[in-house]
Amino acid sequence: MRVLVLAAVSFIIFRWVLIPIRTDGSSMLPTYSHGRLHFVNRLAYGTGGPARGDVVAVQLAGPHVVYIKRIVGLPGERVAIAGGQVLINGTALAEPYVHHRKSWDLDGVTLGPREYFTIGDNRAVSDYGRMPADKILGKVVF
Amino acid sequence: MQRIAAIVLAVVGLAIGAWFLLSPDDEGAAVRTRLQALADMVNRRTVDGLGPEARGAQLGAFFTEDVDVDLGKSAAPIHGRDTVIGMADRLQPRTSAFQLKFEDVGVAMVPGGETANVHLTAEFIRRSITTGEQTLDAREFTIGMRRVGGQWQIARVTAVDTLEK
Repeated sequence: MRVLVLAAVSFIIFRWVLIPIRTDGSSMLPTYSHGRLHFVNRLAYGTGGPARGDVVAVQLAGPHVVYIKRIVGLPGERVAIAGGQVLINGTALAEPYVHHRKSWDLDGVTLGPREYFTIGDNRAVSDYGRMPADKILGKVVF
Repeated sequence: MQRIAAIVLAVVGLAIGAWFLLSPDDEGAAVRTRLQALADMVNRRTVDGLGPEARGAQLGAFFTEDVDVDLGKSAAPIHGRDTVIGMADRLQPRTSAFQLKFEDVGVAMVPGGETANVHLTAEFIRRSITTGEQTLDAREFTIGMRRVGGQWQIARVTAVDTLEK
């Protein structure tokens, strides 16, 4: 009976709460390496939205394939990129996690009330852009 | 206590089973099966030994004659079954270690049952012929499907920008 309960609890947790994901590619280097196992906490944002610097899983058509990205812009903020430097409301954002920058330029975009701006840490290969809050599957916790 | 836990587990199990059994979506399943057949065919193309004409005919059966493909700002729109087949054939030598996989396939039937809107994630897995290194790209698509002569065919493919610039 204990084994059954444990199996049921594990099934519920790893299916709906703490989702295991395996990274593929180098867009989040050096923070997350290719082929490593991580977990996404789907309950992390139950009472509030993501904070700047959070690494989140962004779902595509559903939860089985996700992008891993870092939140740099929050709802209502104006995000721009000048020569690879992210500017939030005109102020340069300190990003100690970035090791390889790319000389991107992006004219300012003002995020909507439920929009976030995300980028991968490895600017040499990663993509960036804004997305609605409902695309966030959860917070990558470890 | 053990008895209560056993009853709870049994009820949950029955509820899950009933949910799967009582919510059949035959047409949605037919659309999913058709898309899976397309992926299987694309993945088999490198080893089936067929010539370009036979491969073209196989691939063509999955698309309507007036299919529209919009891959986003970085690529010109593609119109017509023949153009799609021609492009697929030109890509073939470079994609000999290419695998296509569909995930999270959501099907919404349009009233009348002759058309369906699909939202899915396509995974493109490439293996370098020289180094063996594998890379994975994933992209979100919306697909419009139409039933033609009893077969579901793709009438429209639109790439979705998950991250908007």
